[in-house]
Amino acid sequence: MNWTTHAGPPSVHALGLAAAGTALLCAAAILPLDAPPLSLLACPFRSATGWPCLTCGCTHAFAAFVRLRPLTALEANPLGAALALLCAVHSVWTALRLFGLRLAPASFSATPRIRAAAAALLLANWAFVALHGPR
Amino acid sequence: MCGKPLVVPEQASAASTSFAGDVPAGAPALEPGTPWERRVELGSWRAWRDTVVEALFEPGRLFQDARIDRGAAQARFAVVTVTVFWIAGQMLERFLLRPWTQRAVAGIAVRGQFGSVVQKLMQIESDNSPRTAALMALLTPVVVLVTLYVNAAVTHLFAVLLGQNKRGFAATFTACAYAFAPLVLFAIPGCGAPIAVVWAAILTGIGLKHTHRIGPGGAAATVIAPYVLVCCGGCALAGLFVAGSGVLPR
Repeated sequence: MNWTTHAGPPSVHALGLAAAGTALLCAAAILPLDAPPLSLLACPFRSATGWPCLTCGCTHAFAAFVRLRPLTALEANPLGAALALLCAVHSVWTALRLFGLRLAPASFSATPRIRAAAAALLLANWAFVALHGPR
Repeated sequence: MCGKPLVVPEQASAASTSFAGDVPAGAPALEPGTPWERRVELGSWRAWRDTVVEALFEPGRLFQDARIDRGAAQARFAVVTVTVFWIAGQMLERFLLRPWTQRAVAGIAVRGQFGSVVQKLMQIESDNSPRTAALMALLTPVVVLVTLYVNAAVTHLFAVLLGQNKRGFAATFTACAYAFAPLVLFAIPGCGAPIAVVWAAILTGIGLKHTHRIGPGGAAATVIAPYVLVCCGGCALAGLFVAGSGVLPR
């Protein structure tokens, strides 16, 4: 199976997603977690039920990832750590494509099995956050 | 009548799209384009006004006309629209309605469980320096662009999970970009923002139906799924843990 395919320069959406990903990583690197605006982010779901939502801990995961603490990022929220890694890989790859790399990730069709696996992973992540995260 | 056979030239297949939904050069587009996508012929002001009016009152027509290969123009529409009206709303609130909103927010802070958060928010908002205003004007477009792409990415993820992704990320992005049109209501302090957000979510559903050419149920499910997953899934999870807490060893 080929993981890459030959492609031209990045599309406008590849550039937009890379810009958004880079902005998120920069914000995670610059903004302190214990001061506004990040300290103002309160999960309404957790406040109402006492249980974390699917994305609770993602801010901490991004902050730990950009400070090169992958285990802390995984502990905070595995989904958040994976998203931070995805943002970094996509941003670097898009920058390389801008400078002449002619390879892009190969697209794949989301079969029902892949979709079910992705949904199961999301739920597993949620269970992990609920069991492991702070109450 | 002239006796010659009628010859109709064949159109190139519109299905032959390249990576990320970019239509190859020379291939005819099936959609005529929204007013914003035809702003060279209409003029920028009229194109923007007609697009916002169509998005608010004739969304079906707007999304039917939208071309999914105009991502840059659509991103520009969303960023310009939201940035201008968001800044206008913040200025209006900051300079005209500050005493009234401070009283209202102070009342909420005393009663609600978010009291400390609201008080910190009030401290930040009371900063009226030119530096803050300049920083706000510079950062707002960046925040809008990031929000637009994160919103499109989350919506697309759920479209893929639910099997509703028929025309790629570009189609989802088109729906999300034009669905930002109701955020012009950000200019109205107080009730503007919540109305705008709900309206934008509904427009995203209508947009997905037309841009991905899917059924109304699938489009609605794609938009509502993240909220349902968080609310219902969270309640189920809480129920499971409450039920299991008596069984698990401490």
